[in-house]
Amino acid sequence: MASRFSGALQLTDLDDFITPSQECVKPIKIDKSKTKTGAKIKIGEGGYFDVSSGTEQKLKKVEITLADCLACSGCITSAESVLITKQSQEELLKVFSDRKYTDSKGVVKDVSLIVISLSPQPILSLAARYKLPPEDATNKLAGYFKSLGADLVLDMTIAEDLSLLEAQQEFVQRYQDQQADPNGKYLPMLASSCPGWVCYAEKTHGNFILPYISTTKSPQQIMGSLVKQYLSRAKELTPGEVYHVTVMPCYDKKLEASREEFYNDLLSCHDVDCVITAIELEQMLDNSNMSLNDAESSSLDSPWGEGAPAAVRRHRGSGSGGGADHVFLYGAEQLFGETDAQLVYRNLRNPDFKEVTLERDGKEVLRFAIANGFRNIQNLVQKLKRGKSPYHYVEVMACPSGCLNGGAQVRAGGGQARAAGGEAGRELVLRLETLYSQLPLATPAENKFLRKLYTDWLDGKDSDKAKAVLHTTYRAVEKSDIALNIKW
Amino acid sequence: MISFFSKLSLNNSSKQPVEVAKPAYMDKSATLQELGYKDENELRETIYDYLRTIRDPEKPNTLEDLKVVYEEGIFVKEPTADKVPVLRVEYNPTVPHCSLATLIGLCIRIKILRSIHHPVKLDIFIKKGAHTTEDEINKQINDKERIAAAMENPNLRNLVENCIAEEE
Amino acid sequence: MFKLELIQNLAGHKGIVWNVSWHPLGKYFASCGEDKTIKLWSKSGQDWAIKTVLVDGHQRTIREVAWSPCGNFLASASFDATTAIWDKKSGEFQCNATLEGHENEVKSVAWSPSGHLLATCGRDKSVWVWEVAGEDEYECEAVLNAHNQDVKKVAWHPSLDILASASYDNTVKLYQEDPVDNDWTCVATLHSHESTVWSLAFDKTGERLATCSDDRTVKIWKEYKPDNQEGVVVTDREAVWKCICTLSGFHTRCIYDIAWCHKTDLIATACGDDIIRIFKESEDSDPNAPTFELLCTKKNAHSQDVNCVAWNPSGNQELLSCSDDGEIKIWKFTEA
Repeated sequence: MASRFSGALQLTDLDDFITPSQECVKPIKIDKSKTKTGAKIKIGEGGYFDVSSGTEQKLKKVEITLADCLACSGCITSAESVLITKQSQEELLKVFSDRKYTDSKGVVKDVSLIVISLSPQPILSLAARYKLPPEDATNKLAGYFKSLGADLVLDMTIAEDLSLLEAQQEFVQRYQDQQADPNGKYLPMLASSCPGWVCYAEKTHGNFILPYISTTKSPQQIMGSLVKQYLSRAKELTPGEVYHVTVMPCYDKKLEASREEFYNDLLSCHDVDCVITAIELEQMLDNSNMSLNDAESSSLDSPWGEGAPAAVRRHRGSGSGGGADHVFLYGAEQLFGETDAQLVYRNLRNPDFKEVTLERDGKEVLRFAIANGFRNIQNLVQKLKRGKSPYHYVEVMACPSGCLNGGAQVRAGGGQARAAGGEAGRELVLRLETLYSQLPLATPAENKFLRKLYTDWLDGKDSDKAKAVLHTTYRAVEKSDIALNIKW
Repeated sequence: MISFFSKLSLNNSSKQPVEVAKPAYMDKSATLQELGYKDENELRETIYDYLRTIRDPEKPNTLEDLKVVYEEGIFVKEPTADKVPVLRVEYNPTVPHCSLATLIGLCIRIKILRSIHHPVKLDIFIKKGAHTTEDEINKQINDKERIAAAMENPNLRNLVENCIAEEE
Repeated sequence: MFKLELIQNLAGHKGIVWNVSWHPLGKYFASCGEDKTIKLWSKSGQDWAIKTVLVDGHQRTIREVAWSPCGNFLASASFDATTAIWDKKSGEFQCNATLEGHENEVKSVAWSPSGHLLATCGRDKSVWVWEVAGEDEYECEAVLNAHNQDVKKVAWHPSLDILASASYDNTVKLYQEDPVDNDWTCVATLHSHESTVWSLAFDKTGERLATCSDDRTVKIWKEYKPDNQEGVVVTDREAVWKCICTLSGFHTRCIYDIAWCHKTDLIATACGDDIIRIFKESEDSDPNAPTFELLCTKKNAHSQDVNCVAWNPSGNQELLSCSDDGEIKIWKFTEA
């Protein structure tokens, strides 16, 4: 089966020999002991035994967790196998039926509230697959999850809005920092909402590229904080009792949800417990011999109160969430007093690499780009390395055509076959783009509920709490230089 | 290929690919004697002497101690048409999912190539059934390009050098 | 009848010589290997000798060198994960561009017939297509992840922008650009070899492909275009490639390289049994099930594995070979 990870991650899959069926064994070097005989290892039933001390001592089998996999510069294949067990349809169905789950530390927790958060792209994918208008698809999906046992089904507008507002703010700050410190590594600001891109950057380009990556959390992870910290408190539940599922257009989002940065030590739980994708939802429906059309309709829940009506919405700009457009317009206004900036994109080498500029008095003052797909990421990174990047901001997405064409969206033709680049595939993306443009528009700056959130929950804009809740950090993954682990 | 053409129902399409007779039978023992070996066994013993002292990459034992290598695992095959001896070396990893099996294969190959004074063609294999991914490992440790690249990785190279260094 | 006559034995490299590449005019050639140098050889008087040595371009083994069709650029692929582009603009050969992006060893590099594109491949399982985007500027056009193992070799069709790759996954794949969105995709996968496919070569028409493998066979493949006369079923309006001949029983160890002369139609193979073999299609051969004759077996061509063979592009029947034994040999194919 073809990997559903984005191309960027497939490239970092260096492991030739550990297939998902094989255990990943972390080799440990045993230093030669001072005694002449050295350690004697006996292989017995149920494990290895160190018999050098005279009595048999069972050696600890090294367990590999997804966190280990992500921290390793080696394979993604084994991460995939871990994922399949931890964030699979089967696991999800089990949580629905048992109302309990085992967290990443191996602790079994009871579930009091199951929350499903829907992002727009997979809904459109399923709408196209089942030939439903997006609003109907949303309601059917909500109904389907409710029938399985979900307590709340939410749209993610608030998280998307928050993520865009924070990114805009971050950009203006970076621009000013760069002006004050021309040698600093503030610009270009590179979007961080694509986990495939972030993972690739961490593994391959490390400390060179990471300072440029926006610290603003992706909508998925902001939604995670909202659900686990804000909503659980409102419902008077401990965060661990809330099981949070997001519906996403790509597999890479599972890696994002599993990141250590998104495990909250104080609350001892992840912000997102399970990511399920459009293609998996199609499979779940197939497995129960039903079509999405057969599901009962249910409306989305709106637990946020006044000023935050539920609906799956679009944002101005790309189908990946509109990062470039929002940051551009805000930057133009805040930095150059331009309240009517025009966004006219020019295609560069291919339709997946385009740029837009702002001119003041005949001089170019801002240059933004959208770079989708691995080939364009390559050219961007190489330009940066050679000091030839002319950009202030780049919306970077690992998949060609961005998130509407995410790696785990239902493929053209409905089957398993990924008609990558095929004509039908391209038509499908165009159809999803049209559907996206017809969704109701969200305008973050006018979202009144956000103001309430900043005041009531985050101690105001720019507060330490807002930083802690809405921003994250990245770390370079060092190439393993332990010879025992090197894949050759 | 043949079945493809029968589907095509072309005339004369079932023509077999050209086959030629194998090169004339080469006298194994003559080749070995030219290289200074009394017989096949002497070559096997020589090779085994190279291998027995290799240390396990992980454990403080030699491959002989761990019974990873053994004299019966060394086979002298028909030499090439150019009279170069062909050796097949089998080894037996300690556990069937040993993650270091490829590394041990690498050590075996490098040790023999470094020690032997004449050209030799080496085929190294995991003892049949001794590893869960033996086909993959066999393929890798017989790919000379992968071997050459591995030996240019300073960390891997150090590890191999340590494993194959002779004790003082 | 036929023989390979040794013209000259060229020593100069230290360690394995991995590859030799004729300049398009056939007057000189480049070689590379384990010693991390590129040597340029030309004839002075009767003898071939080193003219220039290019050093400091790479940190590890240089696996392959390739001349651009115009003959002004030399590309070198290295185990250090980079591909270097050398040119003589300043009078001396210098490395003026480095292509980075592969995760680890780059194993092959090839220029498209127009010289506007470059392909590379490597252990990271990917094939990259680069476009010459201006002076010393190369942009990544595509990263193709079609193989699921190490990719050993890339080669272009002799006249069209069709790319072929050979892999450790036992398959050969062909790629083409889709003009609608400038995206490259895999258009054909050739299954039949039972082990690593080490190298491949198109014939002069580009309608046939010869591949060589660790399975000790050479296979000849033919392209069947949509609506072909033979009635081969073609789906999706893409041409299909069928194996029309397997040469087995000739080679006794892994076959590392194959060269198909575009002037003389001779096929040469480089084998791990230290032998160079020359094949030619029989006179009365059926184009859909051809037979190839072994014209010549050069025993002891080298004292170790032969890594590469290359026909002089001028068609003068000169053949270059290089080996693990550190030597390069230049041969003349003659009818005795």
